[in-house]
Amino acid sequence: MDAEGFDTLVATHHREIYRYLVRATFRASEADDLAQETFLRAYRAHRALPPDANARAWLFAIASNVAKNHFRAESRRRRAHTGVREIRIETDGAGPEGETLFKEARTVLDTVVAGLPLKQRLAFTLRKVHDLDYDAIGRSLDCSPDSARAHVFQALRKIRRSLNGYELPVGRDER
Amino acid sequence: MTRKPSVCQEIEPALLATAIGDADTATAARVEVHARTCAPCRQDLVRYRAIEDAVGAWRGAPAPAEELAHARLESRLAALRRRTLLYRIFPSPLGPILIARSEEGVSCVEYLTGGADFAHSRLSRDEGIEALLDGAEVEALYRDLLEYVEGRRTRLEWPLDLRLARSEFHRTVLETTARIPYGAVRSYAGVARELGKPSATRAVAQALRWNPLPIVVPCHRVIGASGALTGYAGNRVTLKQRLLAVEGVRTRPAHHDFRIERDAMYACAGTDAEYCVPTCGSLAERSLADLTLYASRARAEAAGLAPCTACRPDLHPISR
Repeated sequence: MDAEGFDTLVATHHREIYRYLVRATFRASEADDLAQETFLRAYRAHRALPPDANARAWLFAIASNVAKNHFRAESRRRRAHTGVREIRIETDGAGPEGETLFKEARTVLDTVVAGLPLKQRLAFTLRKVHDLDYDAIGRSLDCSPDSARAHVFQALRKIRRSLNGYELPVGRDER
Repeated sequence: MTRKPSVCQEIEPALLATAIGDADTATAARVEVHARTCAPCRQDLVRYRAIEDAVGAWRGAPAPAEELAHARLESRLAALRRRTLLYRIFPSPLGPILIARSEEGVSCVEYLTGGADFAHSRLSRDEGIEALLDGAEVEALYRDLLEYVEGRRTRLEWPLDLRLARSEFHRTVLETTARIPYGAVRSYAGVARELGKPSATRAVAQALRWNPLPIVVPCHRVIGASGALTGYAGNRVTLKQRLLAVEGVRTRPAHHDFRIERDAMYACAGTDAEYCVPTCGSLAERSLADLTLYASRARAEAAGLAPCTACRPDLHPISR
């Protein structure tokens, strides 16, 4: 890919990558940093990208890696600072990234999605919000398309269970 | 918690796939049939579809501060592009050579002396530079350069980027040196004079010691006032001699150095538009700082000079 192609890539995909990372991190400022990191990495590597490659899927893969590294570093840092408390939060299943979640009022669905384990959350967001196929999701999350699908399904099951008792704002009639 | 009947457990993945539109028609039909008679599964289907609809509203919805984030990215990328150099290391008759370019032009040609890897390049120690290994963009430059050092090409029409110049003065020295024609030599003092700083001879020599674009900015065409080559790329004066030989400039060895054969070269004084044989008028007594010497008539004429009307080098060429 040439410099012009890269410009197009930035113009076309930065916003959706940013949205993806906002969903992944819950913080606009973090998503901003991570989206920048994603595109700086992409800039360094874009010349090696074959012209027929799926550049969008490639960007989502980089963004997913950047997000995973971010959370890994963050949980390491927090573990170093807070020790025992952190472990308790992690075994709750919400993960450290879920902490800031309740600071803002969010819809029930937002809250539930935010509480999913990282891989499931990313897989779910890639599939349901950004419409990537399971091949591309697998490449993003370093797993097979089948496990990518399993992550999405697992996420949906958890969401459904968590929403028992809540009425979602939009629903379809029983058919 | 009550367990679902096994038939419901078995159909659950299909039900999920159907609800989110992942299932083929046969599977979807099977699920519909089951859901018609099974109230809990029917309810699950409705819930999954509700989730599907709710998430659908997220698609395409802008995130907070999106335009701000975009503007920030654009400016960071612009900064990264400005400091990015694409490089590759090639073998050459002169040893391993690194060639690097920016988006503006060629910015570095470097003889690697310690070894043919990036760690031996000055770029690896330059904090202001982001060097990326890239073959394709630099490959064509390498082919040109190879032809040039083998004498099969006399011009390198490359856009240059003098960002590695260390000062305005350094840049001016490089620009002035870049104008010395193929097959010609001048002295450090001559370059200083052309810069309008006749006392800056040592500073010019020092500036050319740090030439980021050897061969391309032909510092090998700049020699000492005595006609000795004096130095090149550290202590590799033989490289200088070799590059000059390719251009037709003859030298002879002298005290761990080489000396040009001034009486075998055509000369042009100051900014004259004519070239002469070395014995024309008082040329032989003049300081090298006043002169540009040419390896041959062809080189002088290629540089746009006409034969002197007094000594007529065209009719009476140097005979050797």
